[in-house]
Amino acid sequence: MNLSSAKRGLKVIGISLLVYAILVASHEGEFWPFSIYPMFSQAGNPWTRAIVIDVTDLNEEEIWHSYSLEDRAAGVVPVRSYSVDQIDFSNFVSKTQNWTDSRRAALITMFGPNQLEDRQWMVSKVKGEMIGADSVSIRIVPFIKLTSDSTLLNPNLPESDYFRGEQ
Amino acid sequence: MSWTEKLSYQLFEPDRKQTPGEVVFFKLFELFVLFYVIKFAWEWGIYTQYRNVEIVLPLGMANYIDVSIFFDYHLALINAGFITILSIASFFRLGFKWQYMVVMVLLHIQYVARFSQGEIPHSQNLIGMAVFCFAIGALFFPDKKKMPRFVMGSIIFFIGLGYTSAFFAKLIGTGINWYDGRHLWLWIGEKSIDILSREGFYDPNLLQELALKSTAMASIILLIGWMTELIGFTIWWKKIRPYTTLLLIGMHFGITMTMNIRFDAFVLQLILVGFPWYLLFDQYIKTTPKFIKKWI
Repeated sequence: MNLSSAKRGLKVIGISLLVYAILVASHEGEFWPFSIYPMFSQAGNPWTRAIVIDVTDLNEEEIWHSYSLEDRAAGVVPVRSYSVDQIDFSNFVSKTQNWTDSRRAALITMFGPNQLEDRQWMVSKVKGEMIGADSVSIRIVPFIKLTSDSTLLNPNLPESDYFRGEQ
Repeated sequence: MSWTEKLSYQLFEPDRKQTPGEVVFFKLFELFVLFYVIKFAWEWGIYTQYRNVEIVLPLGMANYIDVSIFFDYHLALINAGFITILSIASFFRLGFKWQYMVVMVLLHIQYVARFSQGEIPHSQNLIGMAVFCFAIGALFFPDKKKMPRFVMGSIIFFIGLGYTSAFFAKLIGTGINWYDGRHLWLWIGEKSIDILSREGFYDPNLLQELALKSTAMASIILLIGWMTELIGFTIWWKKIRPYTTLLLIGMHFGITMTMNIRFDAFVLQLILVGFPWYLLFDQYIKTTPKFIKKWI
């Protein structure tokens, strides 16, 4: 490569950079493979993730109350053993605006047919936030109970937690 | 000499003659990219076919085309097949010079179809960026002597730009207090829930325990990582490049240890482009094999 080609190379990079900037700026920092890696740019924001708790052996009265991570009374279902990507699962639960029948059925489908049998699983939201000057709170909120053929919403939560936008 | 000329000297080294070691290393690097392109295309395709149900988060071109069509009719698998055939043909320089650009677009579609479920992973970005650089290299510098130098130089440019722009994104998005240790506590908590959900159990490692014991320690960890991102652009200078690369690899090791986010392909690619491997190859290879000359 000679000097004139090197100069031309930088021009090609410059034009590519312009395309990069336009695509990233107009798509909230992400247009694969271009990215400004915005994931960690806004620090300190509260977050919501999701886990599945096996509540088969718990009393009906105690399964719907929220509790801290340390007070967890039942085991967590490892979603990987059902070939479910935990981040997809978490986002599916935390970002769904309207829990239509098809969305709720998709939760059972996600784990594969006949996986629940006679067990009862609680799909729970986990909420993290900074509290005061020196601590972080992590709370588990029971959200949807799954059985092999039904999905039940938490009666303690307002309807707006399940239906927020246009359906 | 203007700053653009200085930068083009650092990235493309026009004064340095092409050597057999450089050519062989370039093809091995291209093989590395080809391997990951095919791997990702099929991993994403299989997941999309068998797991994706509804679009939760449309990314990139999924904002303009309904990628849910890739969830059915085996389209994601067919797309993986096309990517495989076209990328292999491009590696052997069979077909047309815009083929790599087609691979880039098809791989983008495969990514947005797979990751329409809410997750936005970044560990595959650098492989995508390499495909993009091969695409513009094949279009604008198809010459055997120019393409290797342009492709490697442009990848190095975008790596440096990516890290330094990430520093400024944090500065703008949060402010100068981005490195507040409690932010790391919150992220460790978030990632620990992901692992708990995936495995059914979670135990913090030594570095996480240290960070969680003191805000000062957590702040120092964040500050070191943030400053490393800031100096990412120094990878553009060939003499500093290996040292910057070492710092960036160290930063990724720190991210893996504190937040359990692995960047395997990303770090492997950093290792390949950040050090002058051609010098080692030139010790043992004195002439370019004929079959490799055909594929440049």
